[in-house]
Amino acid sequence: MTISALLSQYGDRYLLALVTTWKLTVLSFLGAFAIGIIITVLRVCPIKPLRAFGDFYVQIFRNIPGAALLILLVYALPYLNIVFPYNTCVLIATILIPSAFCSEHLMSGINTISPGQIEAARALGLSFFQMIRRVIIPQALRSSVLPMTNLLVATMLTTSLASQVPMRPLELTGIVSYINTRAAGGVMAFVISAVLYCASAVIIGFAGSLIDRKVRIQR
Amino acid sequence: MTQNEVPIIELKNINKHFGDLHVLKDISLKVNKGEVVVIIGPSGSGKSTLCRTINRLETIDSGQILLEGVPIPEEGRQLAELRSKIGMVFQAFNLFSHMTIIDNMTLAPVDVLKMPRREAREEAMKLLERVGVADQAKKVPAQLSGGQQQRAAIARALAMHPKVMLFDEPTSALDPEMIGEVLNVMTELASDGMTMLIVTHEMNFARHVADRVIFMDSGSIVEQADPEAFFSNPQTERAKIFLESITRN
Amino acid sequence: MSKTPSIRDMLYEEPGPKTKKQIRVITLFAILLLAALLAVVIRQFYITGQFAPRYWYFFGRWTTWRFLGQGLLVTLEAAVTGSIIAFLLGFVLMRGKLQKNKIIRGASVCLIEFTRGVPTLLFIYFFFLVVPQTGWKLSAFWKITLPCAISACGVVAEALRSGVNAVPKGQSEAALSLGLTKTRTFYKVVFPQAIRFVIPSLIAELVIVLKDTTFAYIVTCADLMQNAKVLISNYDAMLSVYLVVALIYILINYLLNKLSDRLADRLKQNPAERSAA
Repeated sequence: MTISALLSQYGDRYLLALVTTWKLTVLSFLGAFAIGIIITVLRVCPIKPLRAFGDFYVQIFRNIPGAALLILLVYALPYLNIVFPYNTCVLIATILIPSAFCSEHLMSGINTISPGQIEAARALGLSFFQMIRRVIIPQALRSSVLPMTNLLVATMLTTSLASQVPMRPLELTGIVSYINTRAAGGVMAFVISAVLYCASAVIIGFAGSLIDRKVRIQR
Repeated sequence: MTQNEVPIIELKNINKHFGDLHVLKDISLKVNKGEVVVIIGPSGSGKSTLCRTINRLETIDSGQILLEGVPIPEEGRQLAELRSKIGMVFQAFNLFSHMTIIDNMTLAPVDVLKMPRREAREEAMKLLERVGVADQAKKVPAQLSGGQQQRAAIARALAMHPKVMLFDEPTSALDPEMIGEVLNVMTELASDGMTMLIVTHEMNFARHVADRVIFMDSGSIVEQADPEAFFSNPQTERAKIFLESITRN
Repeated sequence: MSKTPSIRDMLYEEPGPKTKKQIRVITLFAILLLAALLAVVIRQFYITGQFAPRYWYFFGRWTTWRFLGQGLLVTLEAAVTGSIIAFLLGFVLMRGKLQKNKIIRGASVCLIEFTRGVPTLLFIYFFFLVVPQTGWKLSAFWKITLPCAISACGVVAEALRSGVNAVPKGQSEAALSLGLTKTRTFYKVVFPQAIRFVIPSLIAELVIVLKDTTFAYIVTCADLMQNAKVLISNYDAMLSVYLVVALIYILINYLLNKLSDRLADRLKQNPAERSAA
């Protein structure tokens, strides 16, 4: 199929797919970020069992393949009487996996802060929470802009998992297999999706480095 | 200074271990109001650790630390409050790298002392003026030289109106040409009557600014004397060896 | 994870007696909470009958593990082969990106960004759906290995490039001043040093490729996941088999990541090694 034939026949669907991918990406990222922060707090808190739980959580979701997690959610959980609709299963998978990486990025962001600055905050009489709020969090956040940008792109790529279940509306990967099983869409069907993915990634990357340049901490 | 005046800092029989290492051995020490006490000694003698116990950046295993006759609290709000009254200057400056110099200066006065922001800023500018880095106020620490950073760090501590200033090797991380500017600020501070406890390797400074010199070796206070007496006529063998090793370099 | 004292512990100071007591109380609560969570999970398994022996007895059989092992072997084969191909492609792209020639450089940059911005699944569908249309016959193994490799090569290229950039300039200057050609300087002096910096990220990349190979069921390649499906239909044991298989994946990836961290730590702790070689 030529590109114009594809676009005239499936143009609207592609647009919807792009918006779906974006929506899923943003939702997943926000969820992953929220959980990532909570898990990170657990991992740095002085309560040993909570630390261990946070570490455990990260190791599980950092290392489980997306397909394996999605299959567990969709096909295995119902045997425990836990049934989610397909869309929810996808969203859970695309939140849990990036959340582990989010926590890893935040941890390395925290690790860039020099212990000396923590001591200085203490010596000035800042309370623990004042120190966290004024010294730790601003520095950790500012040094994790680029990792978070990469995480956003990675989350977008993870949302292609949705093509593995009959989720509607279709997202950018799902639509390709949809078109190709219907008619021989050929190379072009892929190229359109790929270009849309790439363009999104480039935009995210560009915005990320712009923000990073603004807030980066000189050392 | 009168005999019955309560010392600003009093250490009573302090002991501390790092694992098997006995780093502070039964240390007792008083610092009176307005006094400048300099601690010298070879590296690893425990002088930095001693300095850091006073605002509980290091905990102690036994003994007592009193600030104006009151034992220092072990935790919580009381400890933070105590620390706000003790200024500390670090070897590595430890300015907050994500804040401008002026924000570094006003953070604790505003957050801890609840000073109005404007007032804190005005006072901060005066202090920066005093240490000679007022023109750097809007820059972030990484844009300043080491000497400028350390002077700003001193000003940051002064902004809290401390009762005593602790200096933990304030010039050890500086290039030689910048040591003088920091020592000048400290000398001025001493002549203004600030109570100071200084850990340093700068013997000339110790000799001319200190009211009292304390020589520490392997966790103990070996000798205490006024600087002239100590440097011209050390009483102990260990102090003699130390001073010789320094003058040779 | 590293042996150097982490910031985790620096955040807190030595607790006083009151804080110590609070920590003890909260720790106790946390343990109870986690235990309750575990209990809920176990209870759910119990009331749904998932602990029944018929779901688990076959894991006591040697043949089960042999069958899973065969699948795992294919998975590892695909992951390692894919990684090697990704390394070769990545190397070419990295060399391309460091060329003076604008066209070569531009093309390399585009290819790197393209492979990094497109999900592996899309490449897999390409090899699954489009490649057969062209008449190019590929085995199932290559239909999963090639897309995984292509998907990874851009990331590998960037990792290699950052490794090359991490080699001090003085090294290549010294080599050039000794009369080595640019190419020889790169292969004899710069790259051997660069590769040591990037070994940790190459191992991390192997993990990503390994995870991507779980999509092999799309092209019906008999990997671990596919063999798990066979087990499931033989024993009608969905939950237990998928759980065990997921744990196998997690364990392997965990160990690989651990190895990568260990190597990265050693590189960080021994800066002297950097100037050596």
